[in-house]
Amino acid sequence: MLTLIKREMQDNALFFIGSVIFSIVLIGLSIATLEGHRWIELVAFDSPAGAIVLPIIIFGFFAMGAVQMDTDRIRKISAFISILSVSRVRILLARIIAGLLAILIALVPLAVTVTILLKTHAPPIPIFYVMIIEIFSGTFLINLACYFIGLQAGWNSGRLPPVIGGLILTCILVTLILIKGFTLEIMVILSLFIITSLIRTWHLFTSTPL
Amino acid sequence: MNNNVIKVENLVKYFDGRCVLDGITFNVPRGCIYGLLGRNGAGKTTIIRILLGLEPATRGRTFLLETESKNLSPKIRGRIGCVAEGHNLIQNYKVSRLIKLCKDLSLQWNDESFGHLIETFRLPMDRRVRDLSMGMRAQLNLSLAMAIDPELLILDDPTLGLDTVARRQFLELAIEVIQKQGRTILFCSHILSDVERIADRIGILAAGKLVVDCPLEQLKERVKKLRVIFGESVPANLYLTEIINRQIQGREMVITVANWNKQKQAILETFKPSSCTEIPMGLEDIFIECTRPNPELVEIA
Repeated sequence: MLTLIKREMQDNALFFIGSVIFSIVLIGLSIATLEGHRWIELVAFDSPAGAIVLPIIIFGFFAMGAVQMDTDRIRKISAFISILSVSRVRILLARIIAGLLAILIALVPLAVTVTILLKTHAPPIPIFYVMIIEIFSGTFLINLACYFIGLQAGWNSGRLPPVIGGLILTCILVTLILIKGFTLEIMVILSLFIITSLIRTWHLFTSTPL
Repeated sequence: MNNNVIKVENLVKYFDGRCVLDGITFNVPRGCIYGLLGRNGAGKTTIIRILLGLEPATRGRTFLLETESKNLSPKIRGRIGCVAEGHNLIQNYKVSRLIKLCKDLSLQWNDESFGHLIETFRLPMDRRVRDLSMGMRAQLNLSLAMAIDPELLILDDPTLGLDTVARRQFLELAIEVIQKQGRTILFCSHILSDVERIADRIGILAAGKLVVDCPLEQLKERVKKLRVIFGESVPANLYLTEIINRQIQGREMVITVANWNKQKQAILETFKPSSCTEIPMGLEDIFIECTRPNPELVEIA
């Protein structure tokens, strides 16, 4: 399993590097908010920076899922690997774990930094910490959802409708978040969406001829 | 314990409404080298893909090492080596990286045997797979398949695209390793002389059906091509069962018959031919006769 995860990470190194760069940039932006006591922006995902950065990250993870599957399909990687002592389920699981890691690399350092900054520079208002949990868990879920849409679009990249459909769905999700924010209802919807997408991806990947 | 390493039961496969495989049934016993033949598009690769669980069957069941193809576990897969048509290795990887990946993903790896093969083939480790020649890719693919000491080796047109020298080298090495280790092999190829050299048993696919499934020697005994000359003209009422091909020119009839036996010989003699000579047939001749367009489908088994 570790070999498969490592292979996914090496083959998609660009996305991992992208995650690290985004994380560094956002940490830099977070530190910059301390000047002029604009620390309130730390917990405002719809701040100008947040509104630009969030869709970029989301589309980035959509692209990652799509590229992973599209490359596999075109280069017949799974067809080759599954002749070895590996099942398709393991190949998919390794791919998803790699995607999860990329998302966590982008978010976890930022979440830790923001929490520390709030603790050290902002007034001790408990609601801030609740907001941080909401924002980061919500961002994690939306990224994961779009990553799964990307996986499905990538596996069907030979046909235009699934790809366009995937992009439209991603746009809808991003708009929904920007308008409604990370409310509990949205979180539930995203969680259900992720579960459905996971099942659909698993079914697509394990039942299609390689 | 079942002695069949490969079992195909009434396999049917449709592609876009077109029947490619129509009720294929055959078994490959342990230690057998089975040559599966057929013209382009006959369905050889489809059978292999279904056997490996890469493609679902429309109907019927296939088994490898006593496990149904759709349920092949990683442990079972680890006992099967495969050289796929076109050598679909991961093209953008360097040879060394591909080898490491295969080694890490295999249940067992025979370093000694693999090292010997790599040394014999002189494969460049630092080049990308896509930069290798077709011959080198075939050699790399065979080396990878052999390194796991497979109980079953599936070779799908492994010498396709190789020049004569590379093909001979490839086959000799394959034969050497195969004979030494006594493995079961399913071997598809268009080069019939290769198949004739190594196969114990032959299957020929034509029009979606397995028209031949028997040991090579038996096949040569059973399929006869005869030149029969009659006194005046060829009798109009001459009828023999299981005729694969018949050509008549004046007094002469050239006939290819399946499952030749004494009864058929006796029937032919009742028409009192002035001469009857057997035309020797190699596997290639038998293959051509069995896969002619619009043949009378005669099963030789």
